[in-house]
Formats: sequence, structure tokens, C-alpha cells
Amino acid sequence: MRLQFHRTLYAGTAIDAALGRFAHLANTRFDRSETPEYFVVEVSASSPARSRAVAHELANFALGLTIEQGGPDR
Amino acid sequence: MSESLLGMPPGRVDADVGDASVTLTVDATVYPLPAVYAAAYCFIARCYVLLDRGDGDTLRVVLTGKQPMDAAALRALVGEFGNELLASAWRREITRQNRGLIESVTMQAFGGAMGPPSLDDLEAFDFTDEPFDDPLGIAQSWEEKYRKPKPAGDPEAP
Repeated sequence: MRLQFHRTLYAGTAIDAALGRFAHLANTRFDRSETPEYFVVEVSASSPARSRAVAHELANFALGLTIEQGGPDR
Repeated sequence: MSESLLGMPPGRVDADVGDASVTLTVDATVYPLPAVYAAAYCFIARCYVLLDRGDGDTLRVVLTGKQPMDAAALRALVGEFGNELLASAWRREITRQNRGLIESVTMQAFGGAMGPPSLDDLEAFDFTDEPFDDPLGIAQSWEEKYRKPKPAGDPEAP
């Protein structure tokens, strides 16, 4: 599942921190890339349902960290 | 498949019941980003929240249930999110309007917590201010200002 985090809404450091927290998950791969507008994370797991669940949890975690640090990186 | 929820404005709220998700389009000029953040933070324990930019000055908020949800549950979720969003925006506005008062009260509280000045503080205090300039006599008492002049040669007069 492909996640797109808009740069004006999410902090790149928060996304990196979230990826670090989820990196230990077995049979799950995270590919991070960037476009001019978005941080992109591709989540691949053992099944589409698991990919979806992990991606949603990752997005929530990244949003929570972004809000706790007061918004996107300046 | 995206569809409008009954009772919700089409184009502002689109639901995908099969995916248990709903997408809200929020006017960022009415609900500023910090208010959206505050509302989103309240909901990340209940559902999955993803933010994105929409057309113009709009934000898109995608709420996805952690469990399957029917249309009624999605409608309730959207309603509660809308309420929280409005409350967050209003709290922020109240804080903005009362910032001066809040800072004043906080400063007084900190000042009171520091306690009365010590003798050393008083000794070091600079009392050499310029005399109070009062050209209109506002600081004078009524008696001083309108005192009758002493009659000449009356030793009993005050």
C-alpha cells in the first residue's frame, strides 16, 4: 500500500521516527521516497490486508508525532 | 466506491462504506491547520487519520475505521469529528483573543510566587526616579487644589 504524506502537513523527521519504530515488523518492507510535494512510503507485507493495516498504523503514528512536535519541519 | 452520506453535504463529505472510510473536505480559512491537528489528534486512538491538501485552501481529512463500519457509524464519526473540529477552532480563537489577559495573569502569578522583596532587594532598589509630572494637577487632592487662601495677618487661620 502506498502512503503519501504532504510535506506541508507532515514532518519528515516524524515519518522517519515512525519508520524506525515499525522497522522491526517481520515480513514487512518499507520503501521511502520523495516527490516535490510528498513523502512517499510504500508498505509491502505478507498480505494486502496486513499491508493496509500496517500502513494505516504507520500513518497514525507519523501524524501523532508530527502534531506533538508542532507541525512539519521548519 | 465513494458515495455521499445521508444528511452530509455532498462534495464536502464522501464515504466509502466498503472501505469503512470517509473523506472530509475542510475549508482551511474557516478551520486553520492547528485546529485540524487538534481534532485529528483526538481521533487517532479511535480510527486511522490521514491528512492531505485539497484544491485551493482546503484540507482533506480521511478517517478510516479500525473495524468495519456501516453508513450510520460513518455518519456518526463524521459528525463527531466536525464537532471536535469546531470546538478546537473556537478554543484557539478564544485563546488568541485573551492572550494578553492570560499573559498578564500568568505574570502576576509568577510575581506573587517569588514572594515579597528582601531587605537587600529594597536596599538595591533605585528610588531616584524623576518627580511625577502633573501639569493639570490631577494627582492633587480636592483640598489642596481648592484650598482658600489664608487671610493676611490672621495667625489663627490654618
